Amino acid sequence: MGRTAYLIMTNNPLVVERLGDTHEVEFLETSYEGLLLAVRDKVHEGHTLLSHPLAGSVKPNETPYRSIMVSCERCDAVDARSLSLIERAIEACRKFEDKTSGYGERALKDFQLIDWTLLESGLDSADA
Amino acid sequence: MAKIKVAHYINQFFAQIGGEEKANYPAELRVGEIVGPGMALAQNLGDEAEIVGTIVCGDSYFNENLETATAEILDMVKELNPDVFVAGPAFNAGRYGVACGTIAAAVQDQLGIPAVTAMYDENPGAEMFKDKVYIVATKNSAAGMRAAMKKLAPLALKVARGEKLGASCEEGYIPNGTRVNFFEKERGSKRAVKMLLDKLAGKKFATEYPMPDFDRVDPCPPLKDLTHAKIALVTSGGIVPKGNPDHIESSSASHYGEYDITGVDDLTEEFYETAHGGYDPTYANEDADCVLPVDVMRDLEREGVIGELHHLFYSVTGNGTAVASARAFAAEFAQKLVADGVQAVILTST
Amino acid sequence: MRLELGRIYIKDIQFASESKIEDGVLHVSEEALRAVALKDDKIASVSFDIAKPGESVRITPVKDVIEPRVKVEGAGGVFPGVIAKVDTVGSGVTYALKGMAVVTAGKIVGFQEGIIDMTGPGADYTPFSKTLNLVMVCEPVEGAETHDYERAVRLAGFRVAAYVGELARDLEPDETQVYETCTIKEGMKKYPDLPRVAYVQMLQSQGLLHDTYVYGVDAKKIVPTIMSPTETMDGAIVSGNCVSACDKNPTYVHENNPVIEDLFEQHGKTINFVCQIITNENVYLADKQRSSDWTAKICKMLDLDGVIVSQEGFGNPDTDLIMNCKKIEAEGVKTVIITDEYAGRDGRSQSLADADIAADAVVTGGNANQVVVLPKLDKVIGTLDYVTKIAGASEDTLRADGSLEVELQVITGATNECGFNKLSAR
Repeated sequence: MGRTAYLIMTNNPLVVERLGDTHEVEFLETSYEGLLLAVRDKVHEGHTLLSHPLAGSVKPNETPYRSIMVSCERCDAVDARSLSLIERAIEACRKFEDKTSGYGERALKDFQLIDWTLLESGLDSADA
Repeated sequence: MAKIKVAHYINQFFAQIGGEEKANYPAELRVGEIVGPGMALAQNLGDEAEIVGTIVCGDSYFNENLETATAEILDMVKELNPDVFVAGPAFNAGRYGVACGTIAAAVQDQLGIPAVTAMYDENPGAEMFKDKVYIVATKNSAAGMRAAMKKLAPLALKVARGEKLGASCEEGYIPNGTRVNFFEKERGSKRAVKMLLDKLAGKKFATEYPMPDFDRVDPCPPLKDLTHAKIALVTSGGIVPKGNPDHIESSSASHYGEYDITGVDDLTEEFYETAHGGYDPTYANEDADCVLPVDVMRDLEREGVIGELHHLFYSVTGNGTAVASARAFAAEFAQKLVADGVQAVILTST
Repeated sequence: MRLELGRIYIKDIQFASESKIEDGVLHVSEEALRAVALKDDKIASVSFDIAKPGESVRITPVKDVIEPRVKVEGAGGVFPGVIAKVDTVGSGVTYALKGMAVVTAGKIVGFQEGIIDMTGPGADYTPFSKTLNLVMVCEPVEGAETHDYERAVRLAGFRVAAYVGELARDLEPDETQVYETCTIKEGMKKYPDLPRVAYVQMLQSQGLLHDTYVYGVDAKKIVPTIMSPTETMDGAIVSGNCVSACDKNPTYVHENNPVIEDLFEQHGKTINFVCQIITNENVYLADKQRSSDWTAKICKMLDLDGVIVSQEGFGNPDTDLIMNCKKIEAEGVKTVIITDEYAGRDGRSQSLADADIAADAVVTGGNANQVVVLPKLDKVIGTLDYVTKIAGASEDTLRADGSLEVELQVITGATNECGFNKLSAR
């Protein structure tokens, strides 16, 4: 089995900045939950999740950013495991209050950085 | 300080009126009286509280006249004007448990008076009401009366005073789906070691977090040939012929409906409506196809996309209907569907 | 492996011109500490402070908590592969300074959790309100890259802890305990009738401030492996700092891993404590599969009868936990898992992001979303600047009277998933 070609779905501008030219990145201007919902749509279309939708201990809605890797390849059938992971992530996301308003520029940059490093660890595994 | 006033509810059996033969005994208020298990309750309540009256009701009377009995009893409770309402303990008596849960929840919701009850955790009343009122877990027979009252009385006092309750294992109530923190005597690692030793020895152990029951169903293999398939429509959206001939309840349905749509091309306002009480019915009543898509199915039938639409549809209101009831309904009509040669079902919800 | 652990009880910490431990009192020279901390050019400045149990002091944002230890006999030094050479540790003699900790605090990123209150309701939830804390607050040099600075703060903490630990080298311990595990064959012969039990420790390994290091190796890059639990006592596993404080294991918890201690207590009596198995919690799903497959495989190859699995962190580790549990149970090995919960402020949400019926024996460290009000304290070590932004804190975190309304998740170690605390939930 060769490497799995992946697509990065993100609402984190830092990811676009770092990977936009070299990787397949789908940038969405949306909330944390909005991104999870977009990933769920992809799963419905037959893409498989490659990274866990709840990476990191910075809680959903505490950080506004999320980046998730899905397979480029589409299967005919929906991957049940991916669907259950993303559904539970959406459910988990909804139990945290939204605290993303009122962050300063610096805090936002750091949230972007944390999200980036979480994604990066997934990229390292995918590209290893 | 004034004593806390307690109203107590018991059934005909514990009031020593009689067993099953007296289960039709109507609701009765005995102001100022302490009856049967009320003695033990009063004892455990101590000096801080007094039982200001006892309401006695036959189990059959209550369950067969649910609405009127509830209204009657609520009036009696109003008259007593207690600080707290205590029902039971019902132990493993099913109808008594349901009555205790129903009336305790109603007293709490409609009168704003805190209420508690007690029963065996496998009593159907526990499953139905544990997330609505605090239910003290008891043994499965009246032999557990003493132990039950020891937990029920302090819990009644606490809710009467409006105190914040601790975790289920501290207070003795049946876990109600709300997770409450508390400090254990031993640290977590020690508890884990002990749990493992018990598990290894095949002894009973109590998990601190029961896994949620997701009740997953493996999907069926896909249909190979849609063009020859017989497809049925089933809905929990409560679509029924106009007038709801089977009187399917708007919530907590006790039965489902089976309706013939032979020759029906479109569910019109004139002949169909929804019985569902949990969503705005305006659009479903105007055009029931938006919940149960008979019109598009007929189109697909004509276009040859599907073989045929089954001539019967099944309908229930999902609104508050117990999972166990829903499962039983489906198990029953699934057999009928299979017997009728249906190969696939489109299940619509609201 | 056989490790003799000598405990030296510290009763007080005082700043002094000369560093030494005398009659249970730790005297430390701030100047010497500063020199040790500032060996890294990414750190511009550092200040030291002492916080004692019962004092009206709040420490925040806490990055790591470390117990000073020193290797007196046997191979290697404490924190191998990190600040000592990479020699295998876990045998010989080690001294630990009990009743105290080195706490690193200060900003790494622009939102920070981690509160230790030395008194009040917050003190009930953090284990580090009961230790004498030597607190170091670092500041980065201008333009320091976040990763580099995180590493600098992490290593500075270990250096300071090792410096303090070194002061105990020639002391006589107050108390000594021997921890010894057998080799496979020895164990079979010695305890033929006792169930074979191991400890599966899941290490957080996801990215910046979510990492753990084993002999200096980033735990993301390991495959599951076995260790002698005594290695862990010598600092073989260390924390990579944190942003989320309640369920990330500080280094202190690794050194004093409660599951290891409590399994050792039963070792030779009711169980044969075979070994510790470490695995990771990577974000990449194929890694999760590999690691959980391997963990179950190792359990099988070691002919284990039972394991305790501990989790670390929120969210995606729930998936690792359930995968480990399910696969280990499928090998016929009985499991007990330790986790914590995010059941929402009202306690009514689904606690975990994954679940399986195989997980029928769960120990919980409590609901991290529970709200707690922390009164204003007289002194803050570090800064409250981030408190309004910390996870679990809401907009009105800082109330008019100076008290903080926060969720337990901001308190360091509050819902530890190694079972370090008594907090639980039902």
